[in-house]
Amino acid sequence: MNTIGFNIVNNGDRALTIVFKKEIGHALSVAIINICKLVKERFPGQVEDIIPSYQSMTICFTVQAALDNQFQLELNRFINYSINALSDNRIAVVTDASQLIEIPVCYDKVFAPDLSELADYCHLTESAVVSRHSNKEYLVHMLGFLPGFLYLGGLDNALNCPRKTSPSSRIYAGSVGIGGNQTGIYPVQSPGGWHIIGRTPIRLFDPEWQSPVIASPLDRVKFVAISEQEFKQIEQRDNLRALPRKGHGNP
Amino acid sequence: MSFYFIKAGLQTSLQDGGRYGQRHLGISQSGAMDANSMRMANWLLNKPLDSPVLEIAIVGPTIRFDHALTIAVCGAQFELHLNSKRVYNNQVIHVELGDCLIFSSLQQGARAYLAFTGELDISPMLASYSTHLTACFGGFKNRAFKNRDYLKIIGNDDSNKIDQCALPQRTLPDECFMPYPGNYLMRCTESVESSKFTKRQKTLFFSQAYKVSADLNRMGIQLHAKTLEFDQPMVISSSGLTQGSIQIPPSGQPIISCVDGQTIGGYPRIANIISADLPRLGQLKSGDKINFIMISRDYALQILAATNHWYDELLK
Repeated sequence: MNTIGFNIVNNGDRALTIVFKKEIGHALSVAIINICKLVKERFPGQVEDIIPSYQSMTICFTVQAALDNQFQLELNRFINYSINALSDNRIAVVTDASQLIEIPVCYDKVFAPDLSELADYCHLTESAVVSRHSNKEYLVHMLGFLPGFLYLGGLDNALNCPRKTSPSSRIYAGSVGIGGNQTGIYPVQSPGGWHIIGRTPIRLFDPEWQSPVIASPLDRVKFVAISEQEFKQIEQRDNLRALPRKGHGNP
Repeated sequence: MSFYFIKAGLQTSLQDGGRYGQRHLGISQSGAMDANSMRMANWLLNKPLDSPVLEIAIVGPTIRFDHALTIAVCGAQFELHLNSKRVYNNQVIHVELGDCLIFSSLQQGARAYLAFTGELDISPMLASYSTHLTACFGGFKNRAFKNRDYLKIIGNDDSNKIDQCALPQRTLPDECFMPYPGNYLMRCTESVESSKFTKRQKTLFFSQAYKVSADLNRMGIQLHAKTLEFDQPMVISSSGLTQGSIQIPPSGQPIISCVDGQTIGGYPRIANIISADLPRLGQLKSGDKINFIMISRDYALQILAATNHWYDELLK
C-alpha cells in the first residue's frame, strides 16, 4: 500500500479527527477500518467512541482521557505509528470479516414515489434505473447519520441525481433512495431529500438484536428486486433481517 | 407503585447518562441534555449520579403518585405545586399516596430533571435507560410519555416510613441555583473545518448575537442572525459529528448538534462548544440569545478539569 497522507485536527475539546488525503474508495476504507480497530484495542479505557467515515476517522475520548496529557501524546504517536506501519505493510490488513448482504427491494410504484421523476432526469426508462441500481455490489463505507444507516459506495454514475429542492416531510422506514452520487436506505421514518425509488421489507436497525444493525463497514450490499407480493411475505415473517445473520461486527 | 401522568407535558421522557461506544453504528449518545441538573437531582436522593430521571421540557406534566416516595427536581424552574402546596427545585420532596405534582408556568430555563427513589421496571436498551426520540427506541415504550401513562417503580417502599426524619436529608448549597437568564456566552474551540472559514465569516460569527429559533429539539438547535455568506459553496467530506458542533449549512445559519443528533455530518463546522458548557444547551429555548467566543483547547480543558473538580467536591 502506498503511503497514506493525513492530518490530525481537533474536533472540539474531547475528540480529534484524522483526515486522510487519499481518494474515497475500498483501499482507503480498509485502511481506516483497520486503524480504528488498532486504536480501539490499544486504548480501550480512554476511547469512548471511534467514528469511521469516507476519508476520516473521529476518536472521542472519555473526560479523564481528554485531561490526560500523557495519553494525548501516546495517542498521537500511536496514530502515526499505525498509519505508517499499515502503509509499509508492516501490519497485516484484515478484510476477511467482509460479507455480501442481499437486501430485497420492491421497486413497484406503490413504494417508489420518485422513480419516474428520477428516470426522466437521468434519461433512462424506469426498468433501466431498477436494473442499474440492483445489478451492482455496493461497499459499506461506514454507518452513521441515523442508527443503522449504511453509507454505500458504488452508485452507477448514470443514476446520479441531485437531491430534491424541497425535502419530503415523511419518508417511511425501509425506503431506498438516491441523493446525488449516493444511495441508501432510511432505517427509521424521517424527513429527507432523497428520491425514493423503492422500499425494503427488512429492518436495518433493532436495538433488541444481538448486533443492532445488519452490516459492518467493508461488507458489500446487493439489492435484489422483489415483487409486491414477496414484499408482503417477507414483511410478515418474524425477526426480519437480511441474511446472513451476523453475530458481532465491529469496526 | 407507579407514576400516573394525568398530563404528560410537551416532551417528558426518561433519560440517564446516555449510551456510549455505539456511534460507529449511527447511534448517538442520547441522555439528559443538561447532565449537571440530572446529576444534582440524583445526588439529592443519594442515587448514582447517572441514574434515570424524567426530563421535562418547556411544558411540564401533572403526575399523580400511586405510592409514597421521595423525589427531587433540578434544572429549569417551573412553578411547582404538590397538591396545593408550593414546592421548590433543589430540595428533597416526600410525596404520599395520591399526591399530585403539578408543573405550572415555566419561569427560567427549558428542561427540569425529576429524580425518584426506587428503580424502574424496565430493561435498559443498548446499555441505557435513555429514550432516543429521533430513532424511537429505549426508555419508556420507546417514546416520550403520553397522557394517562403509568410508569411503574419498584423497590424502596417509602410507605413504611423507615423513620425518614432520621435519614440525613441532603440539600444543595446556594451556588447550585443556576440562573438561566436566556442570554448566554458559549465558549468554543476549533472543529474540523474551522480553518476553512474566512476571516470575514469568523469575525461576523463571533461578534453577533444569535437568536435561538423555534426549530430546536434534542437533535439540534437552529440559530438565526445575519447570514454567514459563502463566496463559493464549501464542499467537505462527511465526518464524525460530536455534541456541541456548530455546523454552517449553505443557508449560512448555524445549527448546534445535540445529544440525539446524527453521528456523521456533511456540513462544515465553524467551531465546537466546549464540554463544560454543553449542559447549558439543555436550558436553551426559542428566543434566547447566544454569543460565541473562541478559546484555546488547553484553556477549554482547564475549565473542564475545574468544573469536574467543583462537581466532585460538591456531590461527594
